[in-house]
Amino acid sequence: MPEVKVARDGTVEVRLDDQEADLLRSLIKEIATLFEAGLPRSDPVVERLFPDAYESRKESRAYRDLIGDDLRSGKKEALAIVETKLGNSGDATLSLGPDEIDAWLTVLTDLRLAIGTRLAVTEATMDEEPDPKDPDGAAKTVLHWLGWLQEMTLAELTKEEE
Amino acid sequence: MQPTVAPDRTEEISGKEVAEPDRPWLVIVWNDPINLMSYVTWVFQKLFGYSRQKATKLMLDVHYKGKAVVSSGTREKAEFDCFRLHAHGLWATLTKSD
Repeated sequence: MPEVKVARDGTVEVRLDDQEADLLRSLIKEIATLFEAGLPRSDPVVERLFPDAYESRKESRAYRDLIGDDLRSGKKEALAIVETKLGNSGDATLSLGPDEIDAWLTVLTDLRLAIGTRLAVTEATMDEEPDPKDPDGAAKTVLHWLGWLQEMTLAELTKEEE
Repeated sequence: MQPTVAPDRTEEISGKEVAEPDRPWLVIVWNDPINLMSYVTWVFQKLFGYSRQKATKLMLDVHYKGKAVVSSGTREKAEFDCFRLHAHGLWATLTKSD
């Protein structure tokens, strides 16, 4: 069971057992490959992670030319931060300062967006109880687990704020 | 959707914004089924320095109305805000206000 708590200095500590840490390591590797591969823009996951900034295609292209690789490199940096914190093997205790909390929440978000978009989830299917016969069941469980990690982290941050 | 009135970007930056200060660029966040409500609220607070109350109201607008204007200003500012929202995984676009 993952455990999240905030220290007096605002550092957030996330504890993962070896299975959880391994799951996160493999998900990060997968999405890193996707960032490197340069998938076509027509891929729904790419469209969701690197969305158009304008409703007009033409203006969106101009905007993309303007930002260049900044969005992708920012996402890769966040992945690298979390990957370093996770270490190579075994269980992991991630101690996250303010900038690293941002990276942590961003990585969890990108993973959830990638999985959720691939599964084409809707608000209705997001709330469904997992069906053991569902071939997407495992992926849905991972999606909810990542959401739970994010929710616990945010709950701790909010506690600090109050 | 706004018609593209000034395809030449340089011209727009040099003249148009000064000529039409009352029509700022708007940054819109759209509802999506994946991002958590608590996360969206956190992003609004963090990126724009909004109070918990204001951020929560905007998040609820996104959730129940399908979209909300979360910031506005010059085109440069709007593009910067849009970029930061994309960096945080929110679905955002910008448009010139009517």
